[in-house]
Amino acid sequence: MQKCYLGIDIGSISTKGVIINQNNDILYSDYIWTEGNPIDAVKRLLKSLEKNFDKEKYQIVGVGTTGSARKLIGTILNASIIKNEITAHAIGTISKYPDIKTILEIGGQDSKIILVEDKIVTDYAMNTLCAAGTGSFLSSQAKRLNIDVKDFGNIALTSTNPTKIAARCTVFAESDLVHKAQMGYKKEDIIAGLCKSVALNYLNNVGKGKKIKSPIIFQGGVSKNIGVKKAFESLLKKEVIVDENGHLMGALGVAILAQNEKEINFDFNITNLNFTTIGVECDKCPNHCEIITIRKDNKLIDAWGNRCERGAIKN
Amino acid sequence: MELIVGIPRALLFYKYKDLWLQFFANLNIKTVISPKTNKEIIDKGSSYVVDEACLSLKIFMGHVDHLQNKCDYLFIPRVACLNKNEKMCTNFLVLYDLVKNTFEDCKILMYNVDVENNEYEFDGFLKIGKTLGFSYFKTLRAYQNAKKYEKEKRRQKYLLETRKLRSPHLKILVVAHSYNLYDDFVGKPILEYLESQRIAAICSDITTGDEKVNTSISHSIYWTYNKELMKIIEDTLNHIDGIILISTFPCGPDSLCNELIIRKIKSKPILYLTCDNNASDTGIITRLESFIDILKYKKERSTNDQQYN
Repeated sequence: MQKCYLGIDIGSISTKGVIINQNNDILYSDYIWTEGNPIDAVKRLLKSLEKNFDKEKYQIVGVGTTGSARKLIGTILNASIIKNEITAHAIGTISKYPDIKTILEIGGQDSKIILVEDKIVTDYAMNTLCAAGTGSFLSSQAKRLNIDVKDFGNIALTSTNPTKIAARCTVFAESDLVHKAQMGYKKEDIIAGLCKSVALNYLNNVGKGKKIKSPIIFQGGVSKNIGVKKAFESLLKKEVIVDENGHLMGALGVAILAQNEKEINFDFNITNLNFTTIGVECDKCPNHCEIITIRKDNKLIDAWGNRCERGAIKN
Repeated sequence: MELIVGIPRALLFYKYKDLWLQFFANLNIKTVISPKTNKEIIDKGSSYVVDEACLSLKIFMGHVDHLQNKCDYLFIPRVACLNKNEKMCTNFLVLYDLVKNTFEDCKILMYNVDVENNEYEFDGFLKIGKTLGFSYFKTLRAYQNAKKYEKEKRRQKYLLETRKLRSPHLKILVVAHSYNLYDDFVGKPILEYLESQRIAAICSDITTGDEKVNTSISHSIYWTYNKELMKIIEDTLNHIDGIILISTFPCGPDSLCNELIIRKIKSKPILYLTCDNNASDTGIITRLESFIDILKYKKERSTNDQQYN
């Protein structure tokens, strides 16, 4: 029986899972849409991982969760470790690219830069409250231009003369885009301009003041857009790596972290249990905390969201 | 009938509470302080000021609202200038007018400090004494006594915070104006989280507050409170593992000064958090968690290196 570890990265848009062995090799992996329901997404993910999983040969002894729903899913799966996505992404990437110095990441709602020196993270930055230039911005612009966001990158590559589009703010970028289209600029030039503005916006906001050293890797959903990758390369004048498994790095990282935790016995049966979450508003003080309660087969297993003891919900 | 003075638990209250409360106590004046910031106070405060005002000012107005009909006088300080050639954030200049024009029926206890126009701290208290009907000498004694009390409190606070610099755990300097640092909706949850992670969080409000400070981080910055914060960074830099800057959206002085700090301080990792009333805790916790991870890995690495050498 070989020991292996499960890592799950539950993002706002997609849920990723990997099962690795003790040498950090990915044995199984999968990737599905979260569709606004993280519990259901994880159940579907586990079912699909279980289909190929060799139960005679392997036993899962560690589970890690990361991503924005890490706490919820971590509680349900009784995970050995729950870790933030920045640390998880860095550790996953470093395990595959030990020399990496800079990780650029643009996801559905957020973007971040992670600087690595000698295999440890030394600095990072995340976008602030504003989601300008992230994946959701690109997909809404694609809709406006009536093209599939998947074709975005390839169309951008056909342009020889990218249009200048204001990159500072989504609202301005959008009005700029409409204006340019009405002036008669070609579609591919506008699309290439958009890709460039995403890269420029990222470097001016998230990457502001950071020393971007090679080797550089580009991750997150937007990294699948070759137009943005090329825009980064031309702006930085450096080569940018895009790994085809880039989306799995967070799940991989948290699976690696689970190796150092106390061993547990993970059972796929969990997918048959009935988990529900109920939000309640505490009315014991003017704060009106929104408390989320997690129930397994109608029995309360955990609750959080309260700012003080008064709102603590107990069994 | 006994006179009651209401003091909003916001803005400069956190910096001068020892001085103010002791002064009123020495004169046997009853004070009532608004409760800790809660959601209702923030929502109420936001409804009184323009959207562009900073969160801290919105919180202040919520506290003022809470004190309506609960006191005879509202204590609304106007602190325009503390040192010659230095400035304060305009919020501290306009509080009196803002409150007066928002709550028309309220009676305000006027307290004005404007050193550039020769109105010193004592002059401010003298005016309060006069309004409330106390003699010059009685006010002077109450002020001197309160000043002594404040000095002792500050000394204790300084010792408490600097002791943390010798902690064996990770040491993070948390830099923020005291009204943000100790507010129950802005800085408090961050300090509590750091404590739960066994981090020695050194609070930045440990200057004497009365002497003019100079900082090598910038010679041209003229905001008194921001200069004090920069000075603390400079003084503790060699004893800490990292810095967290907390600011409320959209603070003018902080947005310039924190940018400056980030550009000038290269030897320690810095995390810059901007708080707004709609931001949920999760975004803040994710950033704090990963920041602590970085510091932990760095520290482990450097202790390992030392062992090998």
